Amino acid sequence: MGKEGEALTTRLQIALPSKGRLMEQTLELFRESGLNVRKTGNERGYRGEIEGFANVDVAFVSASEIAANLKSGKAHLGVTGEDLVRERISDWKTRVELLKPLGFGFADVVVAVPQCWLDVSTMADLDEIAGGFRESHGRWFRVATKYVNLTRRFFSAKGFTDYRIVESLGATEGTPAAGSADLIVDITSTGTTLRANGLKILDDGVILKSQANFVASNVAQWTPSTRQAQNEIMARLEA
Amino acid sequence: MVAETAREFEALEEQARTLLGVFIKAGHEAVAPAVIQPADVYLDVIGESLRGRSYVFLDPDGDELCLRPDLTVPTCRLHIERHRNGDRPAKYCYNGTAFRFQPVGAGAAHPREFRQAGIESFGIADREKADAATLALVFEGLRTAGLKDFKLRIGDLGLFRALLEAADMPARWRQRLMHQFWRPDAFRTELMRLTQSPADTPGGVPNELLAQLDPEKPDEAVQLVSNYLDSEDIEIVGARTVGEVTDNLLMVVADQRAEPLSPRTAALISSYIGVTAPARAAGARLKDLMGSEGVDISDALDAYHRRLQLLTEAGVDVVHADFSAEFGRTLEYYTGFVFEVIVPMLGEASPVAGGGRYDKLIRMCGAPHDVPAVGGAVHTERLLAAVRG
Repeated sequence: MGKEGEALTTRLQIALPSKGRLMEQTLELFRESGLNVRKTGNERGYRGEIEGFANVDVAFVSASEIAANLKSGKAHLGVTGEDLVRERISDWKTRVELLKPLGFGFADVVVAVPQCWLDVSTMADLDEIAGGFRESHGRWFRVATKYVNLTRRFFSAKGFTDYRIVESLGATEGTPAAGSADLIVDITSTGTTLRANGLKILDDGVILKSQANFVASNVAQWTPSTRQAQNEIMARLEA
Repeated sequence: MVAETAREFEALEEQARTLLGVFIKAGHEAVAPAVIQPADVYLDVIGESLRGRSYVFLDPDGDELCLRPDLTVPTCRLHIERHRNGDRPAKYCYNGTAFRFQPVGAGAAHPREFRQAGIESFGIADREKADAATLALVFEGLRTAGLKDFKLRIGDLGLFRALLEAADMPARWRQRLMHQFWRPDAFRTELMRLTQSPADTPGGVPNELLAQLDPEKPDEAVQLVSNYLDSEDIEIVGARTVGEVTDNLLMVVADQRAEPLSPRTAALISSYIGVTAPARAAGARLKDLMGSEGVDISDALDAYHRRLQLLTEAGVDVVHADFSAEFGRTLEYYTGFVFEVIVPMLGEASPVAGGGRYDKLIRMCGAPHDVPAVGGAVHTERLLAAVRG
């Protein structure tokens, strides 16, 4: 690796959300903790810095890309949802460390079925009707979700295997009504959207109560100076 | 894959040729199904858990494919392509790679890419005879390849099915127990629930509604459920009909009215699952166990004994084989006889060969009916390691 490369990797790389409420709340939290994040270059740029931290680079990227950067070690630190960490990083417990829940970006990842399924309120009920459904409809239950891995792990832990996943990248809650899925795994904050779509959450169907987290990558190149910068930033956030 | 050098690869291939030679001589046609398979079939057969242990991917057309995690399903598919109904008798053999994702990292004992040489027999009506012929041929292959010291473990899922059929309980409870058999914890819970409170009501169903439903009057029940949904302003969403929901609610009502499962029957089922014994003694042990409770599974036991007899005649030493009632419980597609060949050097977690009967698999792969099917495969890398010692 050339000189330039070394210089780059000795700097602490922080990945922050690039848009929406998550970005606003992250920047607000940093500001309240005395960490003033400034965008460098033009106002729309995707790079930034923290005032008073000469060896810290900030990158503004999407929340899911933050999870990917923490997984690969491209970022030392990042702010992203626990749901994305668990979904995108199969061995997340070894690759990253959840340093601190941040108190915003709340979202529950839940299993929801049509309200008209009066006979189903738990995962066990779902398991029990799956075989009969296949016999009368000639296919497994379809589960629409963008959380393929979380769903698979949770269903498997509940002993429920008779289903097929339909990957859904938007408007998941509408898929049962549209007929493209029978049930869903999705995030919800209040449950209103689910009810409006004729769905209900299973009693034991909360897969994860997620919120935004400050996350460290265990596979990034850590040096004494990046460690020191991390400690100083953590100290401000904890204060 | 363990073979990192051409020489190592050649050693594996040479051994596989020996195995295939034995299989072909016994009348099995050598086939070479495709490495890349449609993920759909596997997902239907194994379920979504496949994604957790296989290489599933999208091709540029957006079709979901996988690297085959075994060669049995591809051989079933090949058979159905040739014979639409899948029921014509046929015997195949193969040698090739299979692929499994190893969540804790691949290693020599559990590589992500490994080789299997195996046989399949489809459409043979005499099941015990085909079972015995399959195991005997696998044994012959192993011996010809030079394996000397090995141990046989067998099981028979047909015995469990027979026990459930013979035990006194409503058909829907049998179905539930059969369904949960593959998950030991859920099975224990279900068995306990049936003896204590079989009528656990799904939360959120008002008791007034349940009280009105009469299993003798299903049409009226559908109307009552329909009215209830209307009055609560609950939309009908999705493919499941009100009729299907009602049918299931009627089962809940039937459970509420039923006597719980007798503790003696539950104890019998638990004791059965716990039986482990030398293969010959196991038959007698099971006969005593069932006899003491007046449960008759003599047909299944006769089949078990006949299979042992046929195995003995074919030169398989069943005296030193171990029977375990629970064996086969981890692979949902097995339906009857199951076996595993263990060598001391590699231990029980890494059998050199294994197989069994899977009478529902060909139908799941697309045939119109169930077709008798039995097969066995040799893990050739392990076999080579065991033969070298």
